[in-house]
Amino acid sequence: MGLIQIGASILTALLVGALTRGTWRTYALLALSVLAVYWFQPVAPLRSFDFWLPSLSLAFVILTWFITAQIDTWKSRPNLIGLSIIVGLATIADLLRYILPDPFLTASTPPQFIQYIVFVLLVATVIVALTYLSGKNAWILSLATILLLSILIILKSPTLSLQTSIFFRTLANRPIENASPLDLRWLGFSYIAFRLIHVLRDKQLGRLPELTLPEFATYVVFFPSLSAGPIDRVERFAGDLKKDFALTQDETLLAGQRIILGLFKKFVVADALALIALNDTLATQVHATGWMWIHLYAYAFQIYFDFSGYTDIAIGIARLVGIKLPENFSAPYTKSNLTQFWNSWHITLTQWIRAYFFNPFNRWIRGYKNIPSWTMILIGQLATMLLIGLWHGITLNFILWGAWHGLGLFLQNRWSDFAKTRFNINNLRLQSALQLGGVLLTFHFVALGWVFFALSEPMLSLQVFLRLFSL
Amino acid sequence: MRKLILFSSIIIAALALAACGASDADAPAKAVENYLTALVEKDGDRLPTLVCGDWEADALIELDSFQAVTARLDNLACSQTGTDGETALILCTGNIIATYNGEDQALDLSGRTFQVTQEGGEWLVCGTR
Repeated sequence: MGLIQIGASILTALLVGALTRGTWRTYALLALSVLAVYWFQPVAPLRSFDFWLPSLSLAFVILTWFITAQIDTWKSRPNLIGLSIIVGLATIADLLRYILPDPFLTASTPPQFIQYIVFVLLVATVIVALTYLSGKNAWILSLATILLLSILIILKSPTLSLQTSIFFRTLANRPIENASPLDLRWLGFSYIAFRLIHVLRDKQLGRLPELTLPEFATYVVFFPSLSAGPIDRVERFAGDLKKDFALTQDETLLAGQRIILGLFKKFVVADALALIALNDTLATQVHATGWMWIHLYAYAFQIYFDFSGYTDIAIGIARLVGIKLPENFSAPYTKSNLTQFWNSWHITLTQWIRAYFFNPFNRWIRGYKNIPSWTMILIGQLATMLLIGLWHGITLNFILWGAWHGLGLFLQNRWSDFAKTRFNINNLRLQSALQLGGVLLTFHFVALGWVFFALSEPMLSLQVFLRLFSL
Repeated sequence: MRKLILFSSIIIAALALAACGASDADAPAKAVENYLTALVEKDGDRLPTLVCGDWEADALIELDSFQAVTARLDNLACSQTGTDGETALILCTGNIIATYNGEDQALDLSGRTFQVTQEGGEWLVCGTR
């Protein structure tokens, strides 16, 4: 989100918070979120993809709701209104190509109306077929999850993205020499997919509450958290939507403070640090050890202020409309061990992975009684952190970053168990010194891990490691 | 609520009707104006969406030639001068002002005729002559 989009989001959130009540607030938020799905999507070099990708996001939202809701509830008034809002606004987004001389809601000119109608009919057919099948077959939920994961894998893998771009370019009779993995920039899909998978999995486990389409769709594409999270839980979000909310002066003040803090973190601190933060160019050009550490520290703080700044902005804007989004950061660089760090960095992603991967995986692996417990811990930590690494991108460097943290968590776990039984420190000064040492050690471990995250190639990362330690 | 749904449906229907009746007589000239705008804004993502497949590589080379300068359009106006088969011929007046090191250089746009063709219902710049 740029400053204009943030400004517009604040203004519209203020209006919705001040002027709407009850279900009207939900409808207004849904309408704004649908518009934001189109507006926030950056231009794509493949023609009209900046219309098709947001439209597909909305199609996935509707499809997931239909296969997870009670089959006969779709005819109820709130659901029909929700469906009308989504389809109506998507239709208007397309028809604007005939009304306005320049693209208005979408980054480039939307497709011809006839193409849009064919798309709507196709989506409607798929939804009707899958909804009918889902009434009789539980595997439809697994199929939808696999579909979402497959798209996520394609988008996160540069090689697969490139091949997909080549495929679409060939279809559209465009030169494939200009194909790039960046052709498929699908705004917010990582977050949308994780929210949808959470809903699909909870439905399978029988713990998904009944939700109307407007509540569900607003949760998935809620405009403040569309591009950078946090990943809320649907029952918590829907609870906030159902609560009676009136925007008070105090609430506005608190939200405003949070937004200003976020803007300062993102656009002043993070953007200033970005000028000297470690990147591929600096990694090859800088030879002095001291400077390399400065660039690494700058990157460590830049990524924190950037991401947590966006989170503050999202939480602040959401507060204006009565939604209390979960916190994503809790002073992560002040934690004295790696477990605490991961409990306070990108908290909602960590919780998601814990709930839907780490815990089920641990339960499964504990079934093998002949595996030593330390091996189970190692496999569990490594697999979890590799998954978090892969969520950021399917590249060797993200895998190395995940492995770095997985091994770090394992070593810390082993050390904690070892130290617990052997050391009993009662001296307060010594405790404080150890605490401080833990903070410094954890911060530097995390900072060194950013070398893999910030750079594109393992060899480049190795080169930086050698510079950092004057080797 | 019914009134609201009815009202929304009427708006969408009106837009759809407007869409059906929309004239695209100026569309080829507008396509060239959009192309030139993307060019001076060095918008490498938008540019490929405004040109035909055969011209995409050339368009990106032309965009690269502006990377080292600051560019803007001055008094741009494009209009269709004729057709050559299914190709619309567009002539533009005005200049691209390229600024390098504080010095302006005007590139006259009237020296070349843009060829614009229709692909999948869209008018796209497809070369110059």
